[in-house]
Amino acid sequence: MPAIEVERQILPILGSPNQGARFYNPDLPSSEPFVPGHRTCAGCGPSIQYRMTSKAAGDNTILVGPTGCMYVANSSYLCTPYNVPWAHTQIGSAGSFTAGVAAAYEAMIRKGKWKGAFPNIICEAGDGSASDIGLASISGALYRNHDCLIICYDNEQYANTGIQASSRTPYGGMTTFSPPGPMVPEAKTLFPKDLARMMAAGHPHCYVATASVGYPIDLMNKVRKGLNHKGAAYLMIYTPCQKGFVYETPRSIDLGRLVVECGLYPIWEWNPEKREYDYSFRPQNMRPVSEYLKLQGRFGHLHAEHIAKLQTFANQQWKMMGIELPEALIQAADAKNLVNMATASAAEAVAQTL
Amino acid sequence: MATATEVKKRTVRINGCVASAQAAKYADVDVIAAYPIRPYTATMMALAQMVANGELDAEYIVADSEHSQLSISHGASSSGARVFTGSSGVGVQFAYELYSPISGSRMPVQMMIADRTLDPPGDFGSEHTDALSTRDMGWLMGWACDAQEAFDNHLMAYRIGEDPRVLLPQMVCQDGFFVSHITSDVELPDSGQVKEFLPPYKHPYPLDPRHPVSHGPQIMPEQGPPLQLERARAMEGAVAVIEEVHDEFAKIFGRRYDPWVEEYMTDDADVVFFLQGGHAVTARFAIKHMRDNGLKVGMVRLRTIRPYPTDRVNEVLSKFKVVGVIETNMGLGSVSSGGVLYGEVCAALYESQHKPLVLSFMAGMGGEAIVLDEFYWMAKKMTEAQKRGKIEKRTHWVGFEE
Ligand SMILES: Cc1ncc(C[n+]2csc(CCOP(=O)(O)OP(=O)(O)O)c2C)c(N)n1
Ligand code: SF4
Ligand SMILES: [Mg+2]
Repeated sequence: MPAIEVERQILPILGSPNQGARFYNPDLPSSEPFVPGHRTCAGCGPSIQYRMTSKAAGDNTILVGPTGCMYVANSSYLCTPYNVPWAHTQIGSAGSFTAGVAAAYEAMIRKGKWKGAFPNIICEAGDGSASDIGLASISGALYRNHDCLIICYDNEQYANTGIQASSRTPYGGMTTFSPPGPMVPEAKTLFPKDLARMMAAGHPHCYVATASVGYPIDLMNKVRKGLNHKGAAYLMIYTPCQKGFVYETPRSIDLGRLVVECGLYPIWEWNPEKREYDYSFRPQNMRPVSEYLKLQGRFGHLHAEHIAKLQTFANQQWKMMGIELPEALIQAADAKNLVNMATASAAEAVAQTL
Repeated sequence: MATATEVKKRTVRINGCVASAQAAKYADVDVIAAYPIRPYTATMMALAQMVANGELDAEYIVADSEHSQLSISHGASSSGARVFTGSSGVGVQFAYELYSPISGSRMPVQMMIADRTLDPPGDFGSEHTDALSTRDMGWLMGWACDAQEAFDNHLMAYRIGEDPRVLLPQMVCQDGFFVSHITSDVELPDSGQVKEFLPPYKHPYPLDPRHPVSHGPQIMPEQGPPLQLERARAMEGAVAVIEEVHDEFAKIFGRRYDPWVEEYMTDDADVVFFLQGGHAVTARFAIKHMRDNGLKVGMVRLRTIRPYPTDRVNEVLSKFKVVGVIETNMGLGSVSSGGVLYGEVCAALYESQHKPLVLSFMAGMGGEAIVLDEFYWMAKKMTEAQKRGKIEKRTHWVGFEE
């Protein structure tokens, strides 16, 4: 029997990619593959992202959910929020389970066992899954170039187990595994693993990009570009977690903007055809990191010297994108010009809420 | 590329690994997940060549680990594809996390195992500890003793595991080297026979965008008991299907296996060896020789350990005076302080009116061959116990005692 050619979907790219959350775009599909009624916290960044992602993908989609909040807090036996097929997989199986689904559809369509256009196959892995325990499995899927999109919804910590440090937790971030104390005043001492660049550098044939819930149209377009790319794609999305970051619930989207505006979360695309980074995305403003930090209890213990380190890190990120630094941001990297975030007792109060 | 080529029945000289690869080809598998570890690797090498030659149309995935092999298999099976994977020794253990999720989501993944000792010593010999350590994870499991039986077991396992009354994964085991790398005549069937025997895989609830379902959502503790009971029932329910499929296999292929135990020269036997896998071949020689010298000795070879044929083991072993369990596995600190089979045998005999004496023999450890002299020695220990009417001790380490 001759092999049947596999038909791929092409999703249209939406206009106004730089417009923000409050912008209405009539081209958005009305379908909701991820419906309300689940048990995630109010203002949960990862689930806001989940809705945007699945909306961009549409109904011919299969979702894979490694263990993490987007499995545990979303799915409940006999009542799940997924309107498209969804499967839980192990936290270390993000890339491998997804690869299995993609391989199955390649073979089944080619051999005439399943008829229709190749479905969008999307994995929604947390940063713990993507940067630590499932890293090899994701690298395997990208390297082998299965036609799938692997998303790391990055809430910068192991949220579901009660807020622990992952390789994505920022320097200075307080978690239950990286608490501040007299011996470690800054809490987390290590800077985060540069996961998205690792994925682009190691798998240059893949479409790789970063995004943030602060820029929904950009996010959805990157989902579509990743899905349209024939082969593997990887998207890392900033998704704040109010439980771990400790902020006022309505500010999730604001944080999604601020983190980009202060340079802590560079937004870029890796173009696999040209084999180069595209840094053309520009936030409306550039701000010092302290404006982002001060909204979150997890940074409440930081001293001026720690904030200066974070500013230096942010300034390096701007430079990597070829962006010239305004004098104010250079000044903000000097501890002499900064004040402590809060008193030790305030930090302790925040710690109690974790 | 064409799907599995039409072939006519023929006899070929191949080893156990290649027999397994042939079975996967006949089953027209869709997805293969490979990762190298001796000795099972030879199966994946053969399959890679078949795919390269266009004899088999399948996605051949070189995974990044055994954990990934099993996750790939899980994802592919969940999507409706027929899947083949395999491993040996520490590779079997590296994938451990996945065994329960796969049986729990009722995906009939098939895994070939050519046994290898764990580390230490990690040598290339066959010990059954690798697969046996996963025996309670909800996988159908049994050992072949030669290449032909391995081939046949793979086909039967697909048919049993994919049956909508069962839907369970299968570990199709063979001894590393003693079976996997020893060449013998294997009859390969007509592709028409396989078509008649093995219908295409069709899971009732695959991940299909036209019929959305959620697989494996989080549960509340009170939802646990019915879910676990269902999996236990699937395993119990497999018993009838296993018998049915062995009958059907005999009708179509002309080879009849007792699904549970092979009895060899047991008619009037007083003492019997109880074992699994390839050492049965040596045991048959040893028994013939001892029979010539007037010893009433026989062998009972377990063919399926999960589901465990408790009543059948009870019924068969109750006939004898002494049973010598040849473990070929490590059960450190277990019931007998030897291997894990002893406990399974004794539990099956607990309700028997005529309990034989049971001895556990630690033989073939580290994958060492069990030679004829060792069989004679074990038989001597059994006849001594028979004369004495009681055992001297539960566990004997063969080769370390007079
Ligand atoms: C093998 C294994 N180790 C540990 C866990 C415990 N665990 C459950 S959820 C979770 C957190 C996952 O973190 P992340 O991937 O970042 O997702 P998030 O919870 O932040 O959404 C962990 C560690 C597990 N389920 N499996
Ligand atoms: S803990 Fe964080 S990631 Fe988890 S549901 Fe709540 S807000 Fe979302
Ligand atoms: Mg996380």
